[in-house]
Amino acid sequence: MRTRALFASVTASAGLLVGGWQLGAQAVPDAVAISDTTSTPSTGTTSSGNSGTTGSGSTGSGSGTTGSGSTGSGASGATGTGTTSGSSATSPAPAAQEPSGQAASGSYTGSTATERFGTVTVKVTVADGKITDVSADMTARDSRSQQINTRAAALLRTEVLSAQSADVTMISGATYTSDAYLTSLQAALDQAGL
Amino acid sequence: MTGTEGPMARVTLDGAAHSNLHAAATFGSMGTMVSFRAADEATYLLIPRLEALFAAADARFSLYRPGSELSRIAAGELALSASSPEVRGMYALAVHWRQETGGLFTPHRPDGVLDLNGVVKAHTIQATGEFLREAGTTNWCLNVGGDILADGEQAPGVPWSIGIADPHDRKKLLTRIATGPRRMAIATSGTAERGEHVWRANAVREAPLPRLVQVSVVAEDILTADVLATAILAGGPDSLDPLIERYHVEVLSVDDDGRLRGTDGFRKDAAQQL
Repeated sequence: MRTRALFASVTASAGLLVGGWQLGAQAVPDAVAISDTTSTPSTGTTSSGNSGTTGSGSTGSGSGTTGSGSTGSGASGATGTGTTSGSSATSPAPAAQEPSGQAASGSYTGSTATERFGTVTVKVTVADGKITDVSADMTARDSRSQQINTRAAALLRTEVLSAQSADVTMISGATYTSDAYLTSLQAALDQAGL
Repeated sequence: MTGTEGPMARVTLDGAAHSNLHAAATFGSMGTMVSFRAADEATYLLIPRLEALFAAADARFSLYRPGSELSRIAAGELALSASSPEVRGMYALAVHWRQETGGLFTPHRPDGVLDLNGVVKAHTIQATGEFLREAGTTNWCLNVGGDILADGEQAPGVPWSIGIADPHDRKKLLTRIATGPRRMAIATSGTAERGEHVWRANAVREAPLPRLVQVSVVAEDILTADVLATAILAGGPDSLDPLIERYHVEVLSVDDDGRLRGTDGFRKDAAQQL
């Protein structure tokens, strides 16, 4: 459940909008748009749907904008709806602007959104009008985000606090034997006092 | 104030300025050394009691002592079902953690011998912590062979600062982390000091590189920290995220080529806020 909540919050926070996902008749182009959260209607993609369908936006608990309508040139325009939380995502990602008769494919990377836990960049992969993958890169900003961003990532040695034995009280290491202890940093610390 | 099992080695710190409040108390038990430090000097009067707690656990559970209950079980002289409530309780604890970790942590050696060492040490550390709290003391830090449980802080407003050993250079530290409300326990498992003391499942051994040579886990309690460090070391990189997600822990692991992986608590910017 945590995973799901995380996913929902990320996608919502980043302002992922999937609009105008056509489920209509064949030969009707599908299109996918990613737009920013601050935009209000009509940032979605243009499509020529002839039967109104409802795009499924990302779920999220936010209160933010809804709906980026696609303008249909067909009988009735498709309406994409999305729900996003009120994060400060800025810049829209390139929307798929497909000409008639072609399905949307490709990768769409949203610009980096800054929200209160850090930054989030969402990437959506679309093949033949269907979303095949959604991924999010997150960078934690403060300690609060440790509650949320709890995965192990590669760390450069320069990204962790450097430490000399003088900086610490105790040393955690793989279990040493009594003999190994004698020449360990821990033994030095124990004698030194701190 | 300091008691040891053998001669103290001459190890010196390079030019570090220490305030020299007092040296740590140390004693040998469970095949390793116990180091204890407290903010209040009177706490050191409890050292004999701590030694007794460790000695009692060691006498019952050590496989290196022929007469211990566990040695008798290993030799087939005593059935587990006929063993003391303490041994059966410890066995239940180990089995509980085997289930929690999907079998990555196990109380059985490959040769079938029941080895409860994986939980005995952490359990004894935990019991010692409870004893100290019941005795009304706070502000202490206990290190048993590299597994650490702390309480309070080393000075008003100053948390305990724990170094993480570098498995590739035992004279160096990889980093340090401060104790905090949900991170009073730190355990490290590795292949460096005692050789391969963690049994790896076949499937895991044949998994693609990299292998982990050291795993440190920071948790609220020492059992979680110790068991998860062992489990992740055995389970490899793939076991990191599932276990991290289930437990509120910080993890720092070292690959066999020296590369680090870690949760955000080990990042410099986050760690400095704690």
